[in-house]
Amino acid sequence: MLDVDVLQAVTFVVIVLIALAWYLSYSAARLDRLHAKVEGAMSALDAQLVRRAEAALELANSGALDPGSALLIADAATASLERTTEHPLTEDLLDGQHFGGREGVESDLTAALRAALPDDVVAGLRVRDDELVTDSLDRVAASGLRVRLARNFHNDAVREVRRVRAKRSVLFFRLAGYAALPEPVDFDDELPLALAA
Amino acid sequence: MRIGMVCPYAWDVPGGVQFHVRDLAEHFIARGHEVSVLAPADQEEGLPAYFTSSGRPVAVRYNGSVARLTFGPVTSARVTRWLEAGRFEVLHLHEPMNPSAALMALWASTDEPVVATFHSSVVKSRALQAAHPLLRPSLEKIRGRIAVSQEARANMRRYLRAESFIIPNGVRVDRFRDARPREGWCGTAEAPTLAFLGRCDEPRKGLGVALRAMRDVLDEHPTARLLVAGPGDASVLLRDADPRVVRSTEVLGVVTEEDKASLLASVDAYLAPHLGGESFGIVLVEAMAAGATVVASDLPAFTDVLDGGRTGVLFETGSADALGHAVLDLLADPERRRTLRALGQDRARVFDWGVVADRVLAVYETVIAGADGEPDQPTPTGLWGRLVRGVPGGGS
Repeated sequence: MLDVDVLQAVTFVVIVLIALAWYLSYSAARLDRLHAKVEGAMSALDAQLVRRAEAALELANSGALDPGSALLIADAATASLERTTEHPLTEDLLDGQHFGGREGVESDLTAALRAALPDDVVAGLRVRDDELVTDSLDRVAASGLRVRLARNFHNDAVREVRRVRAKRSVLFFRLAGYAALPEPVDFDDELPLALAA
Repeated sequence: MRIGMVCPYAWDVPGGVQFHVRDLAEHFIARGHEVSVLAPADQEEGLPAYFTSSGRPVAVRYNGSVARLTFGPVTSARVTRWLEAGRFEVLHLHEPMNPSAALMALWASTDEPVVATFHSSVVKSRALQAAHPLLRPSLEKIRGRIAVSQEARANMRRYLRAESFIIPNGVRVDRFRDARPREGWCGTAEAPTLAFLGRCDEPRKGLGVALRAMRDVLDEHPTARLLVAGPGDASVLLRDADPRVVRSTEVLGVVTEEDKASLLASVDAYLAPHLGGESFGIVLVEAMAAGATVVASDLPAFTDVLDGGRTGVLFETGSADALGHAVLDLLADPERRRTLRALGQDRARVFDWGVVADRVLAVYETVIAGADGEPDQPTPTGLWGRLVRGVPGGGS
């Protein structure tokens, strides 16, 4: 009688432990995947920001803009590029889960593009039919759109990680380990109207 | 690029999502991409070469309306086989929250980066709330979410707590821009013509509102005509309408795409008196592209398409008086009609497939870059590893 009870109790405890172990390992793996997704999304955002700055710099140096506008864009684009080379994402101690305070620089470039490229100026540049100018305009527009997409997708991935990490079981068993809590990236990425359509 | 697209609704039944998937797929194929579409279909003959059937659709009630969907083990096996054979670089699912092929593809997908487009403005459902914990790990496979309108995006925020990027539906603008007006449908200063498009017997399309508004129009323009095109039986509505209105209404029945374009290009104004339940308003774009002046109810989706009322006239939804006045004002002002026509044709270009598909392609590139930028994950080994690391549904 006593025998059976002990056996039953032991079996029950073992099953519960296995189930718990599975659940915790599964949650840890899921969290891992979500962190990897954030990291991937961040590297996509980073690549597009570099392209955007390069295209903007090329446009500024094309000679098609007035010197004031050209200088404004060149200054902001250079700041963005310098920031990227000074703190390359690959050497990021936080595993690319943070934007490292680049928000201000990127917002400035967006604002410079908007200020220097109102509708009539863009229309004027397109009429020149200069291949180099049209090409760099197109590249600013294309990378600008991809920056917006990448930031949107990145922040969505961040939201998913944060939701899972707020779960009690994840907090209690420290399933996230030492991984930094990813932050949403917030900067102004609204393109000039003439390049947005 | 090798693209796999999944549509949850029966391919052989006309519908907004099906047309969207078809046009997008054909546009990408014309640009040299490899596209394969998976969707439910009743019969396999006569379907395009890029199409694979996920099984015979079954009509079921889901989320308050009857939809023709596929599910079950046969669909599941077909979806898995299609994914394996396709080796897609990107998987684009449409309406993945419906219990159909797209949800099953999401479940079964392994390595492909997933993009999802949400079309419906109604995502709320009891089932969704109840099954959310079960679906959540699958939903986490989605790397990029697209909403077709502000409204679809707001609903996704509310019910799925997810962010999305807005890319509107596409229209083949050139097809409508080149439409020729037809003499019989063109209005004159004394006898203007108005058009209504859509199911006549579906109350939310608002034919009833248009018929009531016609009384006011006929008071000032006794020979005005209302041309009604679309499936459904209009006789019930016409029986209750003013006899003068009945005499001035011409029911054209179902028209071809060409006739639809000609009709829109001919009339003095196109009326969109819908009462609700519209997530986008593709007809409004078609009307603008064809050069019709649009008079539409002020639903959020329509307000968006008309750029807040800049490129068309908005009136209070459901109000026949407001519609009547809007039409009379417009008929009295040919100069305004000309301006709106030009603005509308310009506005329609934003929705051209060329522009829209480029944005979708940008989404594909962004999610692929994201997947490539991920650190390498250990491949699951052994039974325990597979149980723990295996993505739900996939790979096992």
